[in-house]
Amino acid sequence: MREGHIRRPGEAVFSILMAAFSLFLLWKAIEIDGFSALSSSGALPMGAAATMVVSAVLIAMKTLKSEPDKTETFAVNILPRDVWTGVALIIAYAVLLVPLGFLPTSFLFLFVMTKALSGRSWFFCLWTSAVTLVSIYLVFRVVFAVLMPEGIVPEGQILAWFGKLLSGGK
Amino acid sequence: MAGFSSFFTPFIDPKLLFLIATGTWAGIYIGAIPGLSVTMAVSILISFTFSWDVLPALALMAGIYMGGVYGGSRTAILLNIPGAPAAIATSLDGYPLAQKGQAGEAIGITTTVSFFGGMLGILVLATAAPIVSEFAVRVQPRDYMMLAILGLLLVGSLSGESLIKGVFAGAFGLLIGTVGMDPLTVADRFTFGFDALRGGISFVAVMIGMFGISEALVQLHDVHKEAVRQNISKIVPSWATILKHMPLSLRCSTIGVIIGALPGTGGDIAALMAYDHAKRTVKNPEVPFGQGAIEGLVAPETANNAAVGGAYIPMMTLGIPGDSVTAIMIGALFIHGLNPGPMLMIDKPDMFWYIVGSLTLGTIFMLIFGLTGIRFFVKVVEMPRTVLLPMIILLSIVGAYAVNNSLTDVYWTLAFGVLGYFMKCYGYQLGPVILGVILSRLLDDNWRRAIISDQESLWLLLKGTLMSPLSIVLFGSIIFLLVSKTALWKRLFTRAA
Repeated sequence: MREGHIRRPGEAVFSILMAAFSLFLLWKAIEIDGFSALSSSGALPMGAAATMVVSAVLIAMKTLKSEPDKTETFAVNILPRDVWTGVALIIAYAVLLVPLGFLPTSFLFLFVMTKALSGRSWFFCLWTSAVTLVSIYLVFRVVFAVLMPEGIVPEGQILAWFGKLLSGGK
Repeated sequence: MAGFSSFFTPFIDPKLLFLIATGTWAGIYIGAIPGLSVTMAVSILISFTFSWDVLPALALMAGIYMGGVYGGSRTAILLNIPGAPAAIATSLDGYPLAQKGQAGEAIGITTTVSFFGGMLGILVLATAAPIVSEFAVRVQPRDYMMLAILGLLLVGSLSGESLIKGVFAGAFGLLIGTVGMDPLTVADRFTFGFDALRGGISFVAVMIGMFGISEALVQLHDVHKEAVRQNISKIVPSWATILKHMPLSLRCSTIGVIIGALPGTGGDIAALMAYDHAKRTVKNPEVPFGQGAIEGLVAPETANNAAVGGAYIPMMTLGIPGDSVTAIMIGALFIHGLNPGPMLMIDKPDMFWYIVGSLTLGTIFMLIFGLTGIRFFVKVVEMPRTVLLPMIILLSIVGAYAVNNSLTDVYWTLAFGVLGYFMKCYGYQLGPVILGVILSRLLDDNWRRAIISDQESLWLLLKGTLMSPLSIVLFGSIIFLLVSKTALWKRLFTRAA
């Protein structure tokens, strides 16, 4: 990405949002302990937020003064179809992770994203999604014992069944 | 040297040899997976060793630590996603090299200098541990504070074209680091009444979001382009290349050992400081910094592995952790009935030499696995992006969740990923955000200690600074860094040149 002597689409709005966000954080930082002491809980937050405000205002002023880039558009160069599809799928993943659980949500995510991005055959997308998910699952769940949200798949029972099978049913 | 014979114990015991090799191999691959930090790997794997004897446990830990610090460089080079914070600086020049099809060369030189740095760090640990730890014990809170400010000023060097955007990003990182309950006064900071925010925002969530998710989103712009065919014909660097960069490597090893030995500052800060040192001292690199300069790889990679030996110094001699991994190790040593601190070296010198031997062996295995496993690893990034990018996003999400088994961390990762994407689009560097988060606690604690010990007086703080040689050096460095960024300085030196 590049530095903006020429203003990219949406950059002015972003820089103003950052300045407003910084001001809000400065206000919240002052609320922590006010100006009670140099060693107060709010000293570093105030210092950091004040630095953010000053730099964000300078960035916004510079951005607003700069010439807009007429060769770019927001829909093509900042948020093209593939990117907003990715963002939408990430948000959907976050929403579905708890109710559906790790395995079905991750499989759906991998399958839909691979299909949307590559446009390749259903078989290819199903196969690669399954292989990827199994690999990740083995590393995190089996090797590192990370307990992901179970949801609708009774993972614990399935793993216990496999364990029993491998130990000869004992 | 009492107990020196224990140095060779891991070399001659097949079981210990195997454990160190396994630990190093696992460390390299875990360190390379975004989201699986070496801290996390050590903390999870260490829990399996509590029932073991102390020697095998220490052997595995030493291998994971050494391999993990190195492993983070691989994805930094191949995917621009540092596997560990210590590899943030590595991605600045490593990834441009991979984009030019020189990934093999980049990983080869990285492995070699990591080996060199690691060995030098261990040498210092073995020979000068008491001296360096004596130095570290004299470091005052104001010096730590200035060290943190120095680290933050590197933001200017890291932020490429726009210093002001780098400053904004660094301050933003500092602020993220203060979110949660203040450990000293229990006051809430930026919690907005949410209990989930009282524990703060996980550093790993910020790191994976900013470097994993946002990078994947940026790469979606070019998802239909053919993947860069990584040229791995030349992995082992030539002697000429190694010798050419040896002076820089030596200087950066020294930086790495010293920074690593300072409590609270580990390989991440050492790597960033070494990178900045290289940028300032190497006047005419063959390729400019940030565009694939070999010096930009040599400096951070030597320093972060040298910092491992450095981090062990205060741990072994004072019982103070050099970084988060050594903090976990101190806990493990207590469980195994050892008491890290000055008495350990007096009562159990054999344990000290055993640890030095294990680290040495781990470094040797790091070189072997580092130079032999690249082709397999590189195959991963030659996969079509349409398959690789969904996998990276999923891996990042799972990695973020795995640290605390927390869905909140996943939501933070996704939020920082989207924010990081827009920041990248508009020319903000993300490295300073992470640096700010890392340094936040160090700066906060030591600022408050320093100002309280000086009776809340800025004048007394300045007076104290000017009375201590170490403080003067640090203070002078800060002033120099600030002045050297001004237009007047640049104009003066451009004319002089």
